[in-house]
Amino acid sequence: MTMKTLLAKIKAYPYLPYISLGLVLSLIPTLVYFDVLRSSYVTLIGAVMIYTIVALGLNLLLGWSGLISLGTAGFMGLAAYASAYFTVNLKLPFELSVILSIAIPVAISVLVGLISLRIEGLYLAIATLAVSEIFRKTFAEFDFITNGFSGKSAKYPTLLGFFKLDNTMTYLLLVIVMVLIMILIHNLINSHVGRALNAMRGSEAAAQAMGIDLLKYRLVAFALAIALTSVAGILYVHFIKYVEPSKWNLGLSLNILAVIIIGGVRNIMGTFVGAFVVFAVPDLVLKQIPYFGKIANFAYIVNGLTIILVILFYPSGLIRVFTDARIAFNKFIAKTRGKTA
Amino acid sequence: MSHAHVKPLEPGIILSIEELSIAFGGIKAVDNLSFQIKEKEIFGLIGPNGAGKTTAFNCITQFYAPNHGSIRFLSKKDETVELTQHKVHEIIGLGLVRTFQNVELIRELSILDNVLIGAHIDYKTGLFNAMLKTKKNRKEEEALKNQAMDVLKFVGIADKALWPVGGQPYGILKKVELARTLMCSPRLIILDEPAAGLNDIETLGLADTIRTIRDEYNCAILLVEHDMRLVMDVCDTICAINFGKFLAKGSPKQIKENKDVQVAYLGTKEDLV
Repeated sequence: MTMKTLLAKIKAYPYLPYISLGLVLSLIPTLVYFDVLRSSYVTLIGAVMIYTIVALGLNLLLGWSGLISLGTAGFMGLAAYASAYFTVNLKLPFELSVILSIAIPVAISVLVGLISLRIEGLYLAIATLAVSEIFRKTFAEFDFITNGFSGKSAKYPTLLGFFKLDNTMTYLLLVIVMVLIMILIHNLINSHVGRALNAMRGSEAAAQAMGIDLLKYRLVAFALAIALTSVAGILYVHFIKYVEPSKWNLGLSLNILAVIIIGGVRNIMGTFVGAFVVFAVPDLVLKQIPYFGKIANFAYIVNGLTIILVILFYPSGLIRVFTDARIAFNKFIAKTRGKTA
Repeated sequence: MSHAHVKPLEPGIILSIEELSIAFGGIKAVDNLSFQIKEKEIFGLIGPNGAGKTTAFNCITQFYAPNHGSIRFLSKKDETVELTQHKVHEIIGLGLVRTFQNVELIRELSILDNVLIGAHIDYKTGLFNAMLKTKKNRKEEEALKNQAMDVLKFVGIADKALWPVGGQPYGILKKVELARTLMCSPRLIILDEPAAGLNDIETLGLADTIRTIRDEYNCAILLVEHDMRLVMDVCDTICAINFGKFLAKGSPKQIKENKDVQVAYLGTKEDLV
């Protein structure tokens, strides 16, 4: 095999963008070790990956299936608290805790879905908002489980009962989980299930006429979104090692919504770009700006402006910037080549 | 789900509608309508605007639940089924598939993917097979993709298979919708105004396509259409309705000569005064 065909083969590999992203991200701890980057970058980019996972769930729900949830934060918090309680208080193994902390929110989501998704998709937004607020109150009040307002601590994961992860290893676990989830979603949306979700969003009448059971697929989309939200919640509590009730408010849910609008609706890589803009740019860039950086909630203002600008100029998300740049670059190359020829 | 015993259809009949009625508030959109469609028949349902044709379609395909009446259908398994006992998404599995008056396609998907949605019920693998892209799932996808390409070749747009649906001209969209109905090997296809928005040449082509579908796919076709040339040209039997009520039934020639039909479409001499 020549070099060229090998390169072409690699280029055509469908998972290439996700694996490349994973490889780049896994370099960050090394760069920190050699003092190229500050150590806070590991935490920051780790958090971006966690929010990418939640936002992928929401993108599946809103982007592909056309359903709105406003309760992302509550479900994420529920999974985080559950995993902290199972591993710290009940001393359950990490793997078992993961299974339980996904199963509980998903079971609740199926119940909420069964009640609210029967008539029309829109009711899900109201139901999830209400449930999320109930969760938040619960986190504050049930302090024998959640430790109330003083917050709850957790540890880095211990795999298989003996393999204790440290900060860097947990970060690498995040990279692996995120890349795997990206690949699974890539497969899903390109399958018949993905087409069914698309059909549900594009035309409910056509979907029904083609044999797609709306309630079933709405439930599938919602349960999957909550499963991903739970994975993110679990990773959050074992990476940041601390949760408090006030974090899981509507503001966080709306930030996740901003992630997919800014990054790219129905775009997996775009979701990461969006999470980076919403959750890393404030710390990396905005806080360094003199004067403005000191304004409280300056990040919210910038996020709002970004959303407006993106909707106006890049309705399919900032991920399009990269595509446009590549097209412009190719045009430029063709032009200069044309001149020399 | 178990269903009450359904009276078998007479031999040669594929769809039998008896005393079908549905009212919206005080308005009877379909009023005591009965007709039968034979196997491999091209059956036209005509009537002036607002006669209740599309409502009748929606009752047959269970988008609306009729207030009264029975709709018996000979399913793919050669069993007589009562359609009113089935949910809207179960209808296609019985062998009855439809198109829509205002093309219902998914803009963001390719033409091929839109056609593959018509094969949704043929996928036997589930969510996890799809996520992990197992061998079973890939095989199934491959086979149905080939079938979809054949169908696209049949309607003559195979070269455009990978183009997105959004932005395509109306004539192409109509063909995509038609192709989508052919994926489920149907017994009866319901076409809701297939010629609406097409130019004269496209309409002529459509008549041929409809006949070829009947012959190649061995199915019956029920169509609602305003283009009288197409209806008279392609239909074996025509049923005319007005204000939701049965008006006349017969061959194209009989319908053309029927006084009631003429009055319904053109009015009487007194109306002119």
